[in-house]
Amino acid sequence: MSKAKWNTAHFSLVFGISYILHDFSNEYCTLKMTLQNFRSVLSWEVRNHSVVPTHYTLWYTIISKPQNMTLVKDCTNITRSFCDLTDVWGNVTDTYIPRVVGFRGGTQLVNCMGSFFLETDTMSLDPPEFEIVDFTDHINVKVKFQSVAPKILDGEELQFYLAHVIEEQSGGIVKKYKPEVNGNITENFNYVINKLIPNINYCVSVYFEPKDPEKINRSPLKCTLLQPGQESESSESATIGGIITLFLIVAVFISTIMILKRIGYICLRNDFPKVLDFYKLSAWVFPELPPLEKVATVEIIHVNRKKKVWDYSYDESDSDDETAPQVSAGGYTMHGLRPLGPTSTSSATLEDCSDQATEEPDLPEPEAVTEAAMAPGPSPWQSECTSGAHEVSGDLLQDALSEEGSSPTEDSGDRIIFNVDLNSVLVRVLDDEDDDNSEVTPMLSSLPEEAVMPEGPAETDSSLLVARGEGTQLPFPSPSAECLWPEDAPSDHSDTSESDVDIGDGYIMR
Amino acid sequence: MATDDDDDDDDDDNDDDDDTCLVGLFFTGIFSLDCTLLNVYQRRVIWQNLRLLSRMSNSFPTECLSESKAFELPLEILSDAQPLKRDIKEAFYEMAIQAFNIFIQDTFQSTWEEKHLRQLQIGLDEQLRYLEQCLEEEEEENEDMKEMEEEERKHSRDTVSQLSNLELRRYFNRIDKFLKDKKYSHCAWEIVRAELKRCFYFFYKFTALLSRK
Repeated sequence: MSKAKWNTAHFSLVFGISYILHDFSNEYCTLKMTLQNFRSVLSWEVRNHSVVPTHYTLWYTIISKPQNMTLVKDCTNITRSFCDLTDVWGNVTDTYIPRVVGFRGGTQLVNCMGSFFLETDTMSLDPPEFEIVDFTDHINVKVKFQSVAPKILDGEELQFYLAHVIEEQSGGIVKKYKPEVNGNITENFNYVINKLIPNINYCVSVYFEPKDPEKINRSPLKCTLLQPGQESESSESATIGGIITLFLIVAVFISTIMILKRIGYICLRNDFPKVLDFYKLSAWVFPELPPLEKVATVEIIHVNRKKKVWDYSYDESDSDDETAPQVSAGGYTMHGLRPLGPTSTSSATLEDCSDQATEEPDLPEPEAVTEAAMAPGPSPWQSECTSGAHEVSGDLLQDALSEEGSSPTEDSGDRIIFNVDLNSVLVRVLDDEDDDNSEVTPMLSSLPEEAVMPEGPAETDSSLLVARGEGTQLPFPSPSAECLWPEDAPSDHSDTSESDVDIGDGYIMR
Repeated sequence: MATDDDDDDDDDDNDDDDDTCLVGLFFTGIFSLDCTLLNVYQRRVIWQNLRLLSRMSNSFPTECLSESKAFELPLEILSDAQPLKRDIKEAFYEMAIQAFNIFIQDTFQSTWEEKHLRQLQIGLDEQLRYLEQCLEEEEEENEDMKEMEEEERKHSRDTVSQLSNLELRRYFNRIDKFLKDKKYSHCAWEIVRAELKRCFYFFYKFTALLSRK
């Protein structure tokens, strides 16, 4: 009995002291309970700034169980003004009574107490961190959480969910979006706010919306002005940046190679193996098409010459000067064609052939000449010339035109084919405008006698030997035909004035 | 609670009666017939009562800490082992009617927010009516069952239910006795207020458990 009385007295005495201490209560500081990253954090702020403690100690008790104050070990003699009680206050059904005592040195300055029923008196969740990325017509909101398993939050009990508040500055309209969070609400997620209008300033705020609307703790607004065409500009700028970067990389690489080559650190080969001869490879893969040949009508200017009768004199004056190139008044060089014999590359001339032709009583008609020219070796007397004709082009014309860069000739059967560089010879295209300005005219006019042409109107049509009209291609006439052609021409100047050249596919130019 | 100005109180009562009617009609109109939504309603109304208790006064006066008492809330009745839904309804009904009897007394502190107190009384009253209606409907449904099985099942059910209700009654009797012993002091009411918040929250969690089934 006496013991019981003693206990009662002791009990009263203890509470008496506590009662005295309680007089300090909340006049000196403000206690606040918040959830920071889903952690129960008790924070306090001293109201009287003139008295600022340097250290704090935290105790607590609960109403449902009368007990003494319990010291929080992790928050004993601390300098910070908050304490994480997640692992201490685990029962959300109790009403906790914290007590914060502030010291400076050994002197107690403040003594603050409060009460918290965690379900209703706290739970002011700090808003999560978030970022916004603005586009032309939508905003992407990236919400970040710290991967902390909430002990207090129970998805079904507390039912916290996110609410985005978008405020349009222009209209003051507030729209609220509540994304459905699948899984834990502590996981990061993105939310896109669509159907926005460019050129309007939008502000975004993210916060947890508790069951008690008065407990909302909104985050600071993040505003952005949607630019029209911003999304395309961003992609274009990214493309341009990528191109510039690539260009810089290539330039640096090339300059490095060049520097190394110049200083001799590396030697670049110029003679590549055949397999690396990409030029030829490309030429093989993509064969160059033969250059287009301009086909044009060429006018033959006939120059009538008197038939010179051989007086059986071997005048050396009638030498082979015809073959010598003669310079025209216009500076052009004329070359003649002379058929050659089978053994001689130069002796055979068209003169011989022409002489042979003159022995014939009857000259074939131009048409016949044409036929003869067309037909391979129709006449016996043509054989020699024909055979020699193979070599005519090889020397005379080749010598004459080699300087001009004509391509080597080639023979094909009974015809002589010359490849003539058009730039090196004179060609007159039949045109009304060219009648007076033809370059050929001075040349031909200066050598009227040397032009050998068969007489007669029909013979004037020996232009059949020349490419007349578009597309007309005649093979190079056989030497016999060639010989036939200047039927009345003396041997000395049968063909000097004429340099009938077969160009490739049978064009003959003068 | 003693009042000096009866006229003012009458005016306030008239206004409160209007609010009561409106609130009553609101709740009755929505939940009068559909007992399948009982759990949803219980969850919502209990949470509202909890908030009202919190707002009724400021923070717990620390000077009353010395008078705190352990009322020993019977947690076993809120376990997940309750097999029948009727037992849950009866437990809710017992809790609601006992709490209503406590808050219907006119001995509240003047420092409390009267508006919140009135709303709490209305909420508890509506909760009781809803539960009564659903319990009557369930009683009528049980009359269609076979008598033998009904007798056996009813006997076992009533035993468990009676025990649970008895524990709840004892719990609320302790609270009521505490108030009387403390002569409805300010600290006594504050302590009771804190304790009933704890009780409401337990029943709130109980409805969450039931919603998973």
